[in-house]
Amino acid sequence: MIGEISHFFTIIASCLFLLSFIFSTRTYQSNHNIEILVSRVFSYGFYFILISFLLYVWLAIQSDFSIKYIAQHSNKELPVFYKISSIWSAHEGSMFLWILFLALWSQLFNINLSKKNILKAPAIGLLAFILFGFLMFLLFTSNPFEVILPIAPINGADINPVLQDPALAIHPPFLYLGYVGFVIAFAYNTAFLIKGDMDINWERVVRPWSLAAWILLTIGISLGSWWAYYELGWGGYWFWDPVENVALMPWLAGTALIHSLYVSSRTKALKSWTILLSISVFSLSLFGAFIVRSGIIDSIHSFANDPQRGLYLLGFSAILITISLAFYAYRLPVLISTNLVASKSKEAFLSINNIIFATLIFAVFLGVMYPLIFDFMYGERISVGPPYYNTIFAPLTFLASIFLVFSVGSLWKRSSQLFFINSALSASILLSTLITLYLVSLFNDFNWWFVGGLFSSFLILFRYLILIIYSFYEGNYFNKASAIAHIGLGLLILATTFNASLSYEKVINIKPGETYTAEAYEFTLINFDLINESNYDSVRAKFSVKDINSLNKVFFLYPEKRKYFIRGQITSESAIKITPTKDIYMTLGDQLDNGYWVVNIQYNYLIRLIWIAAGVMCLGALATFTQSYSKK
Amino acid sequence: MIKIFFIIALIISPYGFSSEVYKFKSVNDEDRFYALIHEIRCPKCTSGSIASSNAPVSEDLKMKIAELINQGYSDTEIKDYAKKRFGKDILYDPEINSTTFVLWFGPFIFLTLILFGFLLRRKFK
Amino acid sequence: MKNLIRSLIILLPLFGIYFFFNILTEEKFYPGADFRSFEVPNFELSALDLDVKYTSEDFDNEFLMNVWASWCITCRVEHGFLMKLNNDGYNIVGLNYKDNKSDALGWLKKYTNPYSLNIHDPKGSLALDMGVTGAPETFLVKDGVVLVHYSGEVNKVIWDNVFFPIIKENKMFQ
Repeated sequence: MIGEISHFFTIIASCLFLLSFIFSTRTYQSNHNIEILVSRVFSYGFYFILISFLLYVWLAIQSDFSIKYIAQHSNKELPVFYKISSIWSAHEGSMFLWILFLALWSQLFNINLSKKNILKAPAIGLLAFILFGFLMFLLFTSNPFEVILPIAPINGADINPVLQDPALAIHPPFLYLGYVGFVIAFAYNTAFLIKGDMDINWERVVRPWSLAAWILLTIGISLGSWWAYYELGWGGYWFWDPVENVALMPWLAGTALIHSLYVSSRTKALKSWTILLSISVFSLSLFGAFIVRSGIIDSIHSFANDPQRGLYLLGFSAILITISLAFYAYRLPVLISTNLVASKSKEAFLSINNIIFATLIFAVFLGVMYPLIFDFMYGERISVGPPYYNTIFAPLTFLASIFLVFSVGSLWKRSSQLFFINSALSASILLSTLITLYLVSLFNDFNWWFVGGLFSSFLILFRYLILIIYSFYEGNYFNKASAIAHIGLGLLILATTFNASLSYEKVINIKPGETYTAEAYEFTLINFDLINESNYDSVRAKFSVKDINSLNKVFFLYPEKRKYFIRGQITSESAIKITPTKDIYMTLGDQLDNGYWVVNIQYNYLIRLIWIAAGVMCLGALATFTQSYSKK
Repeated sequence: MIKIFFIIALIISPYGFSSEVYKFKSVNDEDRFYALIHEIRCPKCTSGSIASSNAPVSEDLKMKIAELINQGYSDTEIKDYAKKRFGKDILYDPEINSTTFVLWFGPFIFLTLILFGFLLRRKFK
Repeated sequence: MKNLIRSLIILLPLFGIYFFFNILTEEKFYPGADFRSFEVPNFELSALDLDVKYTSEDFDNEFLMNVWASWCITCRVEHGFLMKLNNDGYNIVGLNYKDNKSDALGWLKKYTNPYSLNIHDPKGSLALDMGVTGAPETFLVKDGVVLVHYSGEVNKVIWDNVFFPIIKENKMFQ
């Protein structure tokens, strides 16, 4: 019964959004009442989809296995938290969540935006159209409301045990909130392009929404990376997998967007870039959804899946992207600023920033697409992985860092003083050179990327440190939010550089009573515990680890191997000890015939700093909200 | 001398010492091994290197690579071994040649073109 | 120039859409078929059912090699077709992959033996050398060179479309 109501409410919501869209096309008659109607009908649509989703959550909590999707992905024994998170563990349910969030962002925008804003009706109408399109996709190709007839199963299938994890449960919500948050910028800017009134101050509207979405997307990606690290057992945090890359591209575009918005909101420069980026971020999110849900990337290894879903997503995304780009191309002559940016001004540096980010996005795009193109052209399969991406990303990151540091203290609309006389810059260059030379010889690593990474990160860190100290002393203004965010960037580059250089790994055979010495630590396998939980059995090793360098202090690590009952799946749970400089990371492998066990030991240097750095960047972005308001 | 050795042997004998699964003649060889296994794809998984996979074929391949390193094969020869048996797509590094030219140089060309356009526009204004 | 950029902005996505449409709708036949040729590697392994050792010298000029195991469920389904091939006169060599000798022999007894000779590869060393990732897999070999490597169950459809054209092309088994 509730399932039917939930389904029905989604259908009603679709109709309401369609109606809102149709009304928005009528606003050319300058009928003010129609505009209010667009907004109001949209609100009703939102309420219906919200209630529908909440009812669905209720169904999941109640373990209503008459609903096929819930039966396939949930189970009576699951804790409530995972019963709820199982909703977005697969295609249909996660699509439902995606749509809910689209509606949520749009409704917040709907409420927040002033009625007097002439772009409001067309923007809301466009958002309604987008929602309608995705709801059609949901209802016709990926229906989460399908029922199992005539009798519901008593218990559901289990969800993949690997998904029963708190970080992985909240990673999709954050990620989707980030992805779809950029739809606001997309819709508002497309409405702007359609309207064609160049005097409208669209930056002021678009900026806060884009910043908020960026923060959430950054958190979402970081959660995914952190989860992959501790759960998957290989000790890495980023693999340049196609699925990761399609999340990275909107993030790169989003970062470029918020920088470009900063310029466009103050000057006349970079408007054409900013709007293009605004269209690109959501387009890349659509592209990501298409790639992941159409099965196209896996099609290299298997028969093409039901192409129906892929074709629909392709078609719908194509419509949205082509329309907005068409209007962009049409308005381009008036968008492009007639004046050039002053040489070495802040605008100039941010132009270069846009160019570098565009190149990064292009590189990732090329890497993701190349296997497809190659297979299409030569009929041969090829893989593009970390060796490619790391090689392309590193130099571009170093280049961006150098421009960043030069841009600190640059001025609006005019040239800044000659670089090398600027003492702060010279001091930064000198200090980072010294510390790089020191560290390179200390760690005896002369790889170009280690040198480049150290130099770039310290350059950024020192430059901002000097800025902060100087401004504190002189009491003058500096952009605190930007400083925090970019210090976060510097830390990120530093952490990834060290992590890549110093990583240590060893696979050993060991049995109870034996000891293995790995550099400064002694690992002794004491014994095994057999554990029985409600949904799995596990073998847990007890290792005592002695820190030779630290007065022989001892701690314990418990890597585990679990066998889940319902699917018979075996997972390896890693054991991690966090120290200030590194993570000591252990996983339990297979048991050999002679009573020995295979154990993997890793030292992951500065890996915690990577996610801390991401957090610092988010703090910086958050700080811009406080700054913007106080400046008025 | 022998007495000290004997005493040390007595002290350490209650402890068994475990050993590495993959043994090498030098630290350099070992580093090569761990670098290689991150660059070779698991033949049976949807994605991931053999370093991150414990599928039987991944384990076999890792053992084989360790063997080949100890037999003196170079990194290139080992990669060729894998390529011949499992196809070019077993390597995560798409090697630079005429067919991958666009992939490797594309971003650089892209960057140059746009920068060029940006600077050219300034010059002619 | 400006107009060139403007038209590119529209054309590139359209081209992209066309490209993806083609990929989504093209039919991928026989993804398990691999036609890269390579030489059969040297090896020395025990026979499964006899007390001898085999090397690559023991092979005929033209033969099929089937990778199987008692733990492989799909192999039981494939078995019927292999018996038919054997009856039709094709020489099939068995590569028993990562299997226990007694389990394997028991399996052959239960299902009958379609293989002219059977190699016991408990560690999968020859299998790895030939790019095997699991069972069942089947190789078509001529003069010491692999012409076809198929991963998955061989049945009439696969035989007619993947193996037979190559056999005919190379005038094999005549």
